[in-house]
Amino acid sequence: MKRLNRFPLAALAIAMPLAVWSCKREERSFRVQPPAADTTDKVIVSKLRAGQMMATTTQRAATEPSGGPIAPPPPGIAPASKPSAGLVHNGYEENAYAVGEGNRLYLAYNCVGCHFHGGGGIGPPLMDDTWIYGSNPEQIFATIVEGRPNGMPSFRGKIVDYQVWQIVAYVRSMSGMLSKDVAPGRDDHMAGAPPPNSMRYQPPQWSTVGTIR
Amino acid sequence: MIGGGVVTSLFNSAVLAAISTDNHTALAPTGPQAQHIFNDYKAFYTVCIIVYVLTVAIALIASRRHRQDTDGHKGEAHPPLPPPQLQLDPTREAKMTFWVNVCIAATVLILFGLLFVDFSTARAIHQFSSKPGAVNIVVTGHQWWWEVRYDDEHPQNVFTTANEIHVPTGRPVKIVLQAADVIHSFWVPNLTGKKDMIPNHSTELWFQADKPGIYWGQCAEFCGFEHAKMRLFVIADPPEVFDGWLNAARTPSRPPLEQIQKQGQQVFMLKQCSMCHTIGGTPAGGRVGPDLTHVMNRYTLAAGAIRNTPGQLAGWILDPQVIKPGCRMPQNNLSPHDLQALLEYLRTLQ
Amino acid sequence: MLTGNWLRYGCHLRGVLAVALLMTAAAAVHGASTTTAPGTNQETNAPHEDGQWTQPGKDYQNTRYSGLDQINTENVKNLKVSWEFSLGVNRGQEAPPIVVGSTMYVVTPYPNYCYALDIDKAIKGENPLKWKYDPKTEAAAQGVACCDHVNRGCFYDDGKIYFNTLDVHTCCVDARTGKEIWKTKLGDINSGESITMAPLVVKGKVLVGNSGGEFGVRGWLTALDQNDGHIVWRAYSTGPDSDCLIGSQFKPFYDWLKGKDLGVKSWPADHWKIGGGTVWGWVTYDPDLDLIYYGTANPGSWNPELRPGDNQWSATIFARDPDTGQAHWAYQVNPHDLYDHDEINENIILDLPVDGKDRKVIIHPGRNGYIYIIDRGTGEVLSATPYIRNTAAKGVDLKTGRLIPNPEKAPQVGKVIRDIEPASPGAKDWQPCAWSPRTKLLYIPHQNLACDYEAVDTGYIAGTPYVGVNETMYAGAEDPAHLGFYDAFDPVAKKIVWRIKEKFLCWSGTCVTAGDVAFYGTMDGYFKAIDARPDQGGKELWKFKVASGIVGQPTTFKGPDGKQYVAILSGVGGWAGALVSGDLDVRDPTGALGFVNAVKELPKYTTKGGVLYVFGLP
Repeated sequence: MKRLNRFPLAALAIAMPLAVWSCKREERSFRVQPPAADTTDKVIVSKLRAGQMMATTTQRAATEPSGGPIAPPPPGIAPASKPSAGLVHNGYEENAYAVGEGNRLYLAYNCVGCHFHGGGGIGPPLMDDTWIYGSNPEQIFATIVEGRPNGMPSFRGKIVDYQVWQIVAYVRSMSGMLSKDVAPGRDDHMAGAPPPNSMRYQPPQWSTVGTIR
Repeated sequence: MIGGGVVTSLFNSAVLAAISTDNHTALAPTGPQAQHIFNDYKAFYTVCIIVYVLTVAIALIASRRHRQDTDGHKGEAHPPLPPPQLQLDPTREAKMTFWVNVCIAATVLILFGLLFVDFSTARAIHQFSSKPGAVNIVVTGHQWWWEVRYDDEHPQNVFTTANEIHVPTGRPVKIVLQAADVIHSFWVPNLTGKKDMIPNHSTELWFQADKPGIYWGQCAEFCGFEHAKMRLFVIADPPEVFDGWLNAARTPSRPPLEQIQKQGQQVFMLKQCSMCHTIGGTPAGGRVGPDLTHVMNRYTLAAGAIRNTPGQLAGWILDPQVIKPGCRMPQNNLSPHDLQALLEYLRTLQ
Repeated sequence: MLTGNWLRYGCHLRGVLAVALLMTAAAAVHGASTTTAPGTNQETNAPHEDGQWTQPGKDYQNTRYSGLDQINTENVKNLKVSWEFSLGVNRGQEAPPIVVGSTMYVVTPYPNYCYALDIDKAIKGENPLKWKYDPKTEAAAQGVACCDHVNRGCFYDDGKIYFNTLDVHTCCVDARTGKEIWKTKLGDINSGESITMAPLVVKGKVLVGNSGGEFGVRGWLTALDQNDGHIVWRAYSTGPDSDCLIGSQFKPFYDWLKGKDLGVKSWPADHWKIGGGTVWGWVTYDPDLDLIYYGTANPGSWNPELRPGDNQWSATIFARDPDTGQAHWAYQVNPHDLYDHDEINENIILDLPVDGKDRKVIIHPGRNGYIYIIDRGTGEVLSATPYIRNTAAKGVDLKTGRLIPNPEKAPQVGKVIRDIEPASPGAKDWQPCAWSPRTKLLYIPHQNLACDYEAVDTGYIAGTPYVGVNETMYAGAEDPAHLGFYDAFDPVAKKIVWRIKEKFLCWSGTCVTAGDVAFYGTMDGYFKAIDARPDQGGKELWKFKVASGIVGQPTTFKGPDGKQYVAILSGVGGWAGALVSGDLDVRDPTGALGFVNAVKELPKYTTKGGVLYVFGLP
């Protein structure tokens, strides 16, 4: 009997700090500096880099004293095993409000017109694991800003930088690359693709060379 | 009873005197709908005052009578209270039951009376709906501004503006209310009651402005960060003035003439502005933000957050997040020359 | 005037024959004894069959009927692959193989290669490639092609091949050498324009229309001079009458289509500038009346709330003078289109008894679910027969000619309207029908598609899509297991005589021969021959599994060896096959404007491809 009485008290004692801890709310900052400024010298859209053999060998020697993969990714290109291990850290990928803004802008700036809700149509799908020009934040950023030769228009000057980074975060959420507490859930519209927060992480692949997309 | 009425009208006139210059109050109706609401309000107010005065008076009398009953013990220490009497006086009890019943009946009657007044007000307001010759306007609530579309049987006369609704005096106005994101509420108290704007569900509101003037409105349903800075203006003009405005509003923007204005147009079209804003007569057709075809004819910017002056406009373009944190307009990093040219171009949008 | 045109026309025709003679000795067999007057009424006087297939529609009437009868209902089961050719492009192959003399011409999707193949060598098993022309199509044009990078074929006339490229150019190539004679830029991909249609060459003009109704472009049909490629006239589909080439000759049959500048007045201010009405389908020509007929596409955006009004002249059939472009009549099939029901479908020119009287008509199997029979002299709708379950419209008012929309299915912003049939691709899309003067039947490959439709607000950003709709498609309730229908339609009795059902859409065109065999292909990769006769119920006589799904246009011709052959391109794609050709993701039912949902099984049945197949009797 006594033990039973103690149980709710104990539960309360555990729940209270938990509740207080969970009260920590995500911060929304409206006046922002872009999370990463200039990426022009960092973007690479090829897996091949000229003259990298020595560099990668020495780097491997430095960072991976024993074993390790035979051909590690060249510097600047993240290993395709961690969700947000791009060269540039996109702070918006940890902020649900910013990803939500990215979602809103994806619709407002007509990204949805070509890529639809991730399945693609005029443009390639964004919810799968194939990335023609790379899946790292700085690579997606460059794809949006620079455009790509097979039909992706350049949005340089048309979208302010921090909004591009928000869109980048949203685009990456579509294939499950962001954590589930940040990725948007389903919206009020027609049931389309599974919402980003239900997507399982898919290790990104580089598309086959020569594929005209 | 008469005294209560006098009190009410005194109070009302005092309030009215205080706000008679205000254009954001339900106590200064300027249209038939608002007039009915105001009458309704007056009826409620009068009845409530009377009931209040009577209730207070009876309470006072009752307390007074009790005090007389206990006069004999004045100046002495209170003896212990006698045990409660369980046996009641039947005559007195019957009398009290009767009066309690009378009060309940009166309350019910008064409430039904008020209900009747309320219904007849709603009925009277409804009779102003579906009138022919109305101005048809679709107002869509956005976070945090108002999109205003003037419909017309001739589609080429349809145009869109924002935040300021021009109406002619003495003519019914039909407003179709919509919302693009969350629930908002349309409320211009001088003209009519409030009505919610619900996403994906159109509602209708009718009003008529009898006197020319600028009447303020406000989003009346909490809709996020900048709910407080979601203001609206209804500008009632005599019909001929309104027609002039309408004809001007239907025309596309004039092409810029001066060199710097032309440069400014280039900035608008080639930079981020055209992604979100429409300017009639140009390729800019964004629908995220307000239509800017005749933005210079508006009194305020950012749904009433700031006055429409060149300086305020420049500040708004560069850093809207200081003026209205959380709003959809991004910070725009424009070079001084681009900004100057852009302002010169925007100045032509009259 | 008319005589002059006739003379000029005769000259071109002789030119065609002369080249054919030069190129093949076999052509002599068919001789130039009687010139094939394109105006010959195929009912009273069967057209002379020269065994060629020089334009996508086979003739100016777009009958896609060949007088060849070597392959017939008895021996078609013996058809074998005669030869193949790899096209080097793995996108939707919607073009017909064009045959002139002993040469076959094929245009591929982007990058729009044009191949000339020597049939003689091909039959003998030698390398058939005569030449390959690469127009160097701009790669970025792929980004403004709404529905795969298709091309619907080339047109042969007077020793030259004419075709369009995705980046809004028209090319004229020497048919013999493959040398470019001229190439004219007609529009700008930065405004969202592209071209996918096959041109029509008539009376010294090359008629070309643009695509891009999903990008808020302004539609037009342009006539280029056949010799040097300069623009002779351009008729816009929206805007003031002067731009639409609507003048004193314009006499529409219905009162609501009369009035000045309807192309401006039926739109919200300025919206006509981005109002669509592109011309990406088929143009037909009637030498009797000396008029061309074509339909315009959907208005932009798809979301109808952004464009109150009738939106003239989108989704309209025009009759124009080919010399000046001046409109003679117009009939708006879908005023204020609600569902992307373009009316670019072919207008086949026929002389038919209608209610006991012989009438000069065009027959237009509409995207909106009705087969229209229209008087081609006046634009009067004589009949509109439903050929699919229809929830979107309640019928066509023959008094006013107006479509009666079903208000319950009207799209609304933010509301999902369910079970709209026909869906956006319509009861029938671009895939052309065939008409057999022998059976007096129209063979219609089409689809059974319904959709859920949600209008959403959208802004216009030049060069990006201007659609504003979430859509998912699925098979219509009439038969949820079959997306494709192939109908034989009797336009006199106004009834469907028989219907074949396919699991996937019948997205390929069809052709019919004097042997009473009709050919079509399926998206899962079968090329089929069926009995065209009315009493055979559409019996399947033969089928052959090709490499990739078929969305092309079959043609049939007589080879230099005097034998009849049938040709088809294999290579799935187009709007319906974009899921496979564009590597789209099936998990998004709204992908490719909602088409992904309807064909989500397709990747299990076919892969991308691009191969020309030619079949012959052993």
